[in-house]
Formats: sequence, C-alpha cells, structure tokens
Amino acid sequence: MTDTESPANAPMAKAAANQPSGRSALRHLLQGERPYMLYVAFAIMLVVFSLASPWFLSIDNFLNIGRQTTLVSIIAVGMTFVIISRQIDLSVASTLALSGMSASLAMAFVANNWVVGALAGLGTGALIGLINGVLTTRLEIPSFLVTLGTLSGARGLALMVTNTKPVIITNEYYFAIFGEGSVLGIPAPILWTLGVTIAGILLLHYSVYGRRVYAAGGNPTAALYSGVHIKQVTTLAFVLTGTLAGLASLILSARSHAARPDVVQGMELDVIASVILGGCSLFGGRGFVLGTLLGSLIIGTLNNGLVLLGVSSSLQLVIKGAIIVAAVAFTRR
Amino acid sequence: MIEQSSISPSSEAPLLRVEGVRKRFGGVNALRGVSLEIQSGEVHALLGENGAGKSTLIKILSGVHVHDGGSIEIEGKPVSFASPAQSRNAGVAVVYQDLSLVESLTVADNLLLGREPKTRLGFLKKRQLVAQAEAFLKSQNIPLNARAMVGSLPFAYRQMTEIAKALMGDVRLLILDEPTSALTDDEEKILFEAIRAVAARGVGVIYVTHRLNEVFRISNRVTVFRDGQNAGTFVTSQTNMRQLVGAIVGPDHAVLKADGEEAGQCVPPAAPHGSSEKPVLELTDVSNDRLDRTDLALRSGEIHGLAGLIGSGRTEILQTIFGLRPVQSGEASLDGVSLKGTDPAAAIRQGIALVPEDRHVQGLVLEHSIERNLTLPRLPYFSRLGWLQRRSASEHANAAMRRLAVKAPGALTLVKNLSGGNQQKVVFGKWNEPRPRVLLLDEPTVGVDVGAREEIYGVIRAAAAAGSGVLLVSSDLSELLQLCDRISIVVDGRITRTISRAEFGSAEDLHHLIQLSQPSEEHAA
Repeated sequence: MTDTESPANAPMAKAAANQPSGRSALRHLLQGERPYMLYVAFAIMLVVFSLASPWFLSIDNFLNIGRQTTLVSIIAVGMTFVIISRQIDLSVASTLALSGMSASLAMAFVANNWVVGALAGLGTGALIGLINGVLTTRLEIPSFLVTLGTLSGARGLALMVTNTKPVIITNEYYFAIFGEGSVLGIPAPILWTLGVTIAGILLLHYSVYGRRVYAAGGNPTAALYSGVHIKQVTTLAFVLTGTLAGLASLILSARSHAARPDVVQGMELDVIASVILGGCSLFGGRGFVLGTLLGSLIIGTLNNGLVLLGVSSSLQLVIKGAIIVAAVAFTRR
Repeated sequence: MIEQSSISPSSEAPLLRVEGVRKRFGGVNALRGVSLEIQSGEVHALLGENGAGKSTLIKILSGVHVHDGGSIEIEGKPVSFASPAQSRNAGVAVVYQDLSLVESLTVADNLLLGREPKTRLGFLKKRQLVAQAEAFLKSQNIPLNARAMVGSLPFAYRQMTEIAKALMGDVRLLILDEPTSALTDDEEKILFEAIRAVAARGVGVIYVTHRLNEVFRISNRVTVFRDGQNAGTFVTSQTNMRQLVGAIVGPDHAVLKADGEEAGQCVPPAAPHGSSEKPVLELTDVSNDRLDRTDLALRSGEIHGLAGLIGSGRTEILQTIFGLRPVQSGEASLDGVSLKGTDPAAAIRQGIALVPEDRHVQGLVLEHSIERNLTLPRLPYFSRLGWLQRRSASEHANAAMRRLAVKAPGALTLVKNLSGGNQQKVVFGKWNEPRPRVLLLDEPTVGVDVGAREEIYGVIRAAAAAGSGVLLVSSDLSELLQLCDRISIVVDGRITRTISRAEFGSAEDLHHLIQLSQPSEEHAA
C-alpha cells in the first residue's frame, strides 16, 4: 500500500502546472472555475427574447421575472450549501408547503401577529432541515433517500392538517412585509431575494463555515483529518435550506393571502437545476452563490420568454429540459 | 555487485527473461538495468525496499510503462508492451493489492464478467455461467465456491478469486503484488496452497513482498533489487535471512556513512532532554481494535520512529493519538491531559497534528487551492466571530509557501497541479503555525522525489528543534536511522522494543530486528 516506487506522477504533474494558459482560453471559458459560458448564454437569451417579443424588454417584465423566480432563488441559495457539501435535498417544495400551513395556522389559532406566523413558518422549515441533516449524518442514510422520505412525509402532513383545505391569512403587516410591500419601488419578494443572496455570499465565501462546507464536500476524509466536524457542517446546510424554504413559504402565502397545502409540487427540480446551472458540482466542493442566482434567473427568464412567445406549456417543458441538460453539459468539468 | 546464483542453467529459453532493463522518470533513474529470469513452474520472490524498482518493473511487464532500454523476452521471443492489453495477450497477468472485484456479485459472475455466456437474444445463461466457472476453478485446483457472493468471503478467498480471475485465459506468467499484507496466518496458508497449485501447472509466478518470512515459505528462488539494480538472486533453500537482508540494504549503505555527519546535527535536540523529563505524549497500555497494550513516551524535541511491517499497527497508533480511533482501555495523555474520547478537532486544539499516509485521500482537497488547504485545520486562527480574515489567511499561506519552498505559481494554484513533493510540503504546511506540541508523520516521503525529500527532512528537524515531539512512521529504514533519536519496533499493535541512537547499528540490523520480532514464525535463518 505504501509501496509507491514510481515517481512518474511528479513530472506529469509538473507538466500539467506548466500548461500554456493561452491555448486553453476557450476551454477555460467553457469549463473554468466560473461558468462564463453561462453568462454568454444568458445574454444571448435576453437578446433573442427582446427581438422576438416587444413586451419582453421592459422594467415591468423584469420585475415580473424577479417575482416569479423569488421562491426558487431563495431556496437555491440554501441548496448551494447542501450540494457543495456533497448532499442533495429533494424535500424543499414539501417543506415550503408544510411551513406555509404552519405559519397560517399559527396566525389563525395562536395570535394574529406576523411575528408569530414568521417564527412558525421559519421554525417548521428549520426543523425539517434538522431532521434531514440528522438522519443523513448520524444514521448515515444517503441524503437522496432521507429527503425523498421527507418530500413525501412533509407533503402528507401539510395535506393532513386541514384535510387539504387552504388557510386564509388576514394579517396586513404580514402581506406587506413578505408579499405586497415595496421599498423605492422594489417589491418585497425581490428585496428578500437580494437579502438572502447577499447573506449567502457572505456566509459561503467570507465565513469560516463556508470554507468548511467546501472542504467537507471537496474531500470528506481530508476534512476529517483536518479537524472539520463534517456532520455538524452538513447538518447546518440542511437546516439553512429548510429555513429558507420556510421563508419562501411566507412570501408565497403573503402574496396569495392564504396558505395552500398543494403548492409548488415539483419545484425542487427547478431549485436543483438552478444550482447546477450556476456552476455547482453535484460531486461537491465547487460552486458559488451568485452563479446559483444566475441559474435561477435563466430558468425564470426562459419560462417568461417562452410564455410571451406564445409557446404551448407542454412544449415549454420540453424546451426547458433540453436547455438545462445542454447548459450543464457545456459548463460542467 | 551482481551475484550470480548457481541455478541450473536450463537448455531451453526461460519463460521470462528480463535483461538490463532501464527506466527513467524525468530526472529519476527508477531502473538502472535490472535482470530477472523466471522458469515456468517456479515461484520467484522479488524483494527490495521502497523505491528499489520492484513496482516499476511490474508496471513495465504489465504494459503500464514502456522500458527505455534493455530487453524482455517471453519464451525466447522479444516483447515490448505498449498497453496492458498487449501484456495480457502475451499471457502476463497481474494481481494488485487493491482488489478489483464486484462485491455484490458471485465468484462465477466476477470470473466471467464481460464474457458471460448468453443466448442469441442477450439473456444470461446462468446455469452455463456457473458451470463454466466451476469447471475452470476445478481445472486450476482452486478451492472456491463459484456461487458464493464475493462480498461475504474472507479476504484470502477474495484474493484467490482475484488470482483465479487473473488466470482466466492463457496465462503463463502470474505476478502477485504483496498479496498477503491484509491476511491472517490461516488465510495466508490457504492462499499459498492455491499459489503452489497454480505454479504446479507450469505457470511462472513472480511474488512481490516485504515480508522475508513469506519468501522462505512460498518461493523457489528470490531476487533482490536495490536502487534500481540487481542486488542478487538466490535459491531460497540455500540462503538465509541475514544474506537477504544484507542484499536488501546493501553492504555500504550511503545513509550509514551520512549517519556520522547527521549525528552531529541531531544530538543537540536529543541530548539535553534527560529521561527524567516528563514526556509530552504518553500512552500506557492503550488498546482498541487494532492496538494491543501499546506503551509509548514521546519527549518534546524528540524524533521518535515507529518501525514495523505494513499492517503492524504503526498507522493505527498515530490514528489513535489523533482521535480517529477510540482508546478503549489504557491511558493516553498529552501534557498530562487525557486524550480519551477525543476526535480530530479536539486533538488539533490540544496541539496534535497528523501528516497522513495517503495525501491524496486523507491529506488534501485536490480540487482546491493551496491556500484553502493550508488554512483548513487552522481556520479559527484566521477568523473573527466566524468571519474569515481573508488577508490574514492569504498572508499565512504565502508565508508557509515561502518557508517550505513550495514550487507553485501562487497560493491560488490548485493542489492537484503540484508535484508529489510539493503536495507533501503543503500537507506539512497545514500544521506549521502555530507549532504543534506533537507532530505525527505517516510515511512522509512516499512518492516524493529525492530533492524534496531532503527539504522535508529539514522541515521535520526544524519542527523538533522548535520543541515539537515528532512521531515518525516509515518503511524506509535508512530514513528512520537518519532522522530519529529513538526507534520503537511495532508488532501486531504493540511496541515490542525501543532502541536509542547509541544502539542503532545499521539499517541491516534494524531490518533484522523487525523481521525477527515477528511472532510465531519458524524461518530458515
């Protein structure tokens, strides 16, 4: 095992380090640390839609795209942490539904106060995240299976609590803070998206915790040997994602003045697609928050543009799927 | 230097004749002209220290590398393998240590993997598959149940499945690369019988090992490599352990001469610390699944070697101290504070550092930059309230790179693009600041070229001179003799003997000490 006689690796590695950077400029553009190709694709998409539809290029429409992508963008920031740490969370849409029910019921039965609702919604999300994290790290069940379970379980609970009926929300503060208010003309959901993205960037790229997330996903064994508590780091990533799913539920229910147990089914796929489009490696250790936001915006813009062009909703799904696979194929390393 | 053995010169061409084969890797002469003859039906042991050239020759024979000079003949016909497939077609099969079996399939499935008998529609002919496998195992006298699930087999039988798989097809030369390092005595017996059965059918077997005892039990002849050259070929029944050890380490070992000079540099750290001083790290009767009442005392400023065979428990001693394995009974303490129930994070806080054996798997995140790797275990030092002080982290990384002379364009270079020696320097750099109380090193110079090796020795000496206690595991005995103040021999998870510099003697003596410490062995010495 220790008998590594061949020093062949050394010269090879040196050759790799000395590789001329000019020659691989195109490859760098396609596959570099940050997926610049994605930026180019986004720009091309904007141009194409602008030329094809007179309504596309307007502030109102962009605010519209922003509002439509809010839920995915916010949860995708958490998912970025989960995927960088080499895990996956399939339960986010169900978590959102259950958190929304929990928030609206708390305001209906405990106290009609937006703080109560917010705490109930965020707390429910965090709790499901904690369950995901603990089952994954302590029982060492793959997170794919754990969250497949909570995907089903949380949705079932959400449907059970009111026997599938929606819960009406009447708190005006709640509507203003999470849904309908605006600052300087910017709607609250977009402000929340910006806030979460900035917080995500700070946490992932400027905190000790962020470094540990990268290490835990990049090489768990080396991270363990370097004294990283991988289980804690991973669990916290799940809690973060669950909490953000809770926040998304507040925004959705404030917008529709009610919480419904059957909302956003299948949204986890858009969230995961955004993260992967944004340059995260499904094998862990690589990715960044701004890329995730861009990935989410691309999917949102695609949806919006295709609607404006009058493409049928069935064909939209096909085009979206093809573009996601193509984009990932081009940008992955 | 090449001793000619008096083996019967057969009239016909041998199965394999390797003549003056040379191989260079960059500036390193891995093989300087080695020769080897294998007769059909013989088990030929191949011995040598790490870096002697055994693996390189095997990689040439298996088509992984192409030799630069010399000739290789199989049954009199000159050959040169450009790929493993060509080597395979010429009848050469290699069994590596790391098994390449699918554990969730049966022995028969594994043997015929990719060559399954199937119907015209592509359905598997399950019965025929088992029958074919059973017929093959019977023809080879290999006692394996074709229907057994590989994952449920003891290690020796898996190894045997691997050998059987290698023998599928027309195999004339079978190469076994340290097949026993993970086996118990009983398992070893079973495996040896299978190997003898294979040889009895006229296959030539090259048996690479570190364990001299095995040579006497399995081989007909033995060839020793040293520094990429032949150091002798012997008929096993006419040689003894002393002769083999002499050939392995060499009569005028370069290190032994250097020893005198080294001693001058090394005495200062060792001398002032009398045995009366309280050790920084102390293990008393420590046991767990791999350790058996280990006793050890490490003084501050001391370089303490752990010598022993692969699998003797050297690595596990380090892992236990670092909190990767539990202390189940006995007492382990650092500066009088117990190490029971710690994990690596706590061990690091207490001032313990580990440079692990496999830097790719355990030591580095290859896809990340030098800076990220260097700062990973010390992140709290570069942060305030959980926020990373990026400038102080990058200053630390740059300083560490300068101090260790890491050759790289910058701290943001990805570690996977560095050479082995520079990667290892990065692993050392992870623990440079603040100075650890105890520095645990597991094979720190494996896969590191000669120049970087000297630099790493300098780093180790500097750490000891600055007051760290250094515990060094190495299979390179000359490395231990050159660096250490004391050396402990590890056998089956316990320390059987500790010798100090005054008692060191030569690498040969140390080799003897290790081999003779092995339990329950009746060797032909």
